[in-house]
Amino acid sequence: MITYIIRRILVSIPLLLGISILSFLIIQLAPGDPTSLFLDPNIKPEDREAFIEAYGLNDPVYIQYFHWLWQILHGNFGQSLIMHGIPVSELILGRLPNTLLLMVSSAVLAFIISIPFGVLSATKPYTLTDYTVTTASFIGVATPSFWIGLVLLMFFAVKFPIFPSGGVATLNAPFSIWDRLHHLILPAFVLAASDMAGLTRYTRSSMLDVLRQDYIRTARAKGFNSRKVVYKHGLRNALIPVVTIVGLIIPSFIGGAVVVENIFGWPGIGNLFLNAAFQRDYPVIMALTMISATLVVIGNLISDILYAIIDPRIEY
Amino acid sequence: MRAFRKWHRIIVFIFIVALVLSGCSQKNATTDTYKQTDETSGNTEKPKDGGNLIIGTSGSPTLFNPYYSEDTASSDIEGMIFNGLVTVDENLNPVGDLAKNWDISDDGLTYTFHLKDNVKWQDGQPFTADDVVFSYSIPMNKDYTGPRASDFEKIKEVKALDEHTVQVTLKQPFAPFLTSTAGYGILPKHLLQDVPIKELDKASFNTKQPIGTGPYKFVEWKDGQYVKLEANKDYYEGRPHIDTVTIKFIPDANAILTQFQAGDIDYMALQSTDLATGEQLVKQGKAKIKTTPSLSYTFIGYNQLNPLFKDKKVRQALTHALDREKIIQAVMNGDGKIANTPGSPLEKWAYNPDVPTFDYDVDKAKKLLAEAGWKDTDGDGILDKKGKKFSFVIKTNQGNKVREQIAQVVQQMWKEVGIEAKPKIQEWSSFIKDVTAPTWNFDACILGWALGVDPDPSDIFSSKEIAQGLNFVHYKNPELDKLMAENTKITDREQRGEMIKEIQAGIAEDQPYTFLYYDNDHIMYNPKLQNVQQHPSIAYYKIKDWWIKQ
Repeated sequence: MITYIIRRILVSIPLLLGISILSFLIIQLAPGDPTSLFLDPNIKPEDREAFIEAYGLNDPVYIQYFHWLWQILHGNFGQSLIMHGIPVSELILGRLPNTLLLMVSSAVLAFIISIPFGVLSATKPYTLTDYTVTTASFIGVATPSFWIGLVLLMFFAVKFPIFPSGGVATLNAPFSIWDRLHHLILPAFVLAASDMAGLTRYTRSSMLDVLRQDYIRTARAKGFNSRKVVYKHGLRNALIPVVTIVGLIIPSFIGGAVVVENIFGWPGIGNLFLNAAFQRDYPVIMALTMISATLVVIGNLISDILYAIIDPRIEY
Repeated sequence: MRAFRKWHRIIVFIFIVALVLSGCSQKNATTDTYKQTDETSGNTEKPKDGGNLIIGTSGSPTLFNPYYSEDTASSDIEGMIFNGLVTVDENLNPVGDLAKNWDISDDGLTYTFHLKDNVKWQDGQPFTADDVVFSYSIPMNKDYTGPRASDFEKIKEVKALDEHTVQVTLKQPFAPFLTSTAGYGILPKHLLQDVPIKELDKASFNTKQPIGTGPYKFVEWKDGQYVKLEANKDYYEGRPHIDTVTIKFIPDANAILTQFQAGDIDYMALQSTDLATGEQLVKQGKAKIKTTPSLSYTFIGYNQLNPLFKDKKVRQALTHALDREKIIQAVMNGDGKIANTPGSPLEKWAYNPDVPTFDYDVDKAKKLLAEAGWKDTDGDGILDKKGKKFSFVIKTNQGNKVREQIAQVVQQMWKEVGIEAKPKIQEWSSFIKDVTAPTWNFDACILGWALGVDPDPSDIFSSKEIAQGLNFVHYKNPELDKLMAENTKITDREQRGEMIKEIQAGIAEDQPYTFLYYDNDHIMYNPKLQNVQQHPSIAYYKIKDWWIKQ
């Protein structure tokens, strides 16, 4: 097991390197540069050129890449081109905790809600309950999260002001855990919504599969009550494929965070990423891409390890 | 102060996302009603001190130092923390800010500013002439790395005559000096003199503890969340009424509106596409709206590198073919006013209302095109000349709903006269890269200019600005070039105004652009907020006098 983990970590190094080369090239291909935001006659072309020269943006791409890589290997993400003098690491560290909080809460929320519904659906297949759950999850998959976000805001922040309309905390108020949670609920739910639907479907089909197995019939034949059969024998086995999705959810959460953070004014990395992309703030874009890539790699690793823990048949 | 640096900057609405929800609002809003929803300042209630104001905005600032910031999000906040020597009043005339008054020598070269003597920095130190000399010498220093050097290169020398008198000598007469250069915020010498100019852009002063002379003091900046300011109780014009001002960053334009409706923000800039929604809130007594014509216009620019647009008659015909009033009604709900020149009617002294106009007239458009040799010889409905069709691409930036719709409307209108225009919507940075020097990869583009307080048109229309500057349509008129070079050297306002009017008439005749319309600026705020004042180019105008009714 340990050697497996070490091997996996070693394999991910060339993988991340490849990702960094690809994303560096793609970002450079995008037309425009950071100076396109200051189209202003008071800023003379010479001043713009000086800016571009000062940040080495005129160098050949491979030189820029190696320069960047060298910095990264020394733990230096560089400085933002737009936010003068603020190190990229400081920008990201200020925001990453917010995104992680949002992502973890969404993941927990998604599992708490979707697994029971999936089970419910599977134990009563092709009934009204099943069809309701199925329809609801299709709607969840099909609805873009920016729309769900705005509709929920319209209802639960404007029409019936139960929840705050955005941000991480009430302004001009002292810190309180309840206040933080209160602000977290809506964005976490919206981010969870699209994955919730997928998870429910996964749980349902996996559960349906398991319930047809012989050992379930055996368990029932032994006279266990049906609750115990479903949850003790059925669910544990049905969850194996579901758990592996944890790793696959992370990329969709990172993508979803960009949208959700913008609508809820949530100061996380998704919001930072969008600004950086529009402003061509290369160091910030690269740093965030690499962090997301690392998160995805780690997520996959975790789900493989979980797989081994949950399913005793699997050995590495 | 903000305006001077916002000078001709393109209006960017990067974060506007079109949304289904806006469809909920009623469409047939009239423009008259919201103008009447004000004004409470008619009653003479005594302002009360206290309360917190939360302003919602989509742009995040980058730093708070007027010599280094490039964006309005930063300069709007700088305007509350710092003061310049001179600012402008509601009619865009220069008035003293830190300067009590000033004398200009007869040759227009020497400006002597007499400073107010009761001004203190927010840390209690007295403000003196040395601070002005120090501040102006920053962009004049050879180690300066910011983008504002060219505004100060006209200055020969700045010196303090005594503690409260500063003398600025120019290399040559420069009429916009008072409203452009002398508007820059003054920085505290005692806090920054030890920072090498080379590293000033990275000084922690800019992001962690900016200190100015303004009505509001910096408290903290939470990146991605808010900037908080508190009243400067020792402000030289008296204590501002509102205790704290928090500028909250909400990237999504629809979310700003939602937060306003939820009562989580008290003040926002209202886009014209949201005007109908805003008006409903006004009816429910939940909001007030103020409107002012803005110092900006929207236009279609024709790239004269493309032989299609070389002929003046063709450009005039393109304008004749467009029903601009209908565009304003259909796309903007009537929220705008037709423009015919690059000048703004807000600058009365330099605005020519009497320029050649090319109003909607399809027959005339067809006639002019025929005179220029464009005829539909193959009967496919599109004009042609020497085997070449009159067909081109019209580009604009993504995310600006209004411009995207204009692109489609003008496509229809030009079709009437046999011209084929194909709209192309591009992401902002790549669009700007395509349009500006040295790429110039466009046929026609829809853009807007935010104008400076000084009406000098040469930055955009002088042929000197073709190679690298902002004259990306390659417009050249040698006679007007001469006038444009001359206008900034004339210190007599009336004489200069006449010259600018002549330039405007010449540009209007040549139609390098189809001038579409002047935009309006709207602000929407909580009805509790009193005495709110709006200015065409200064955000949070006279915020010191705003107050909150409890």
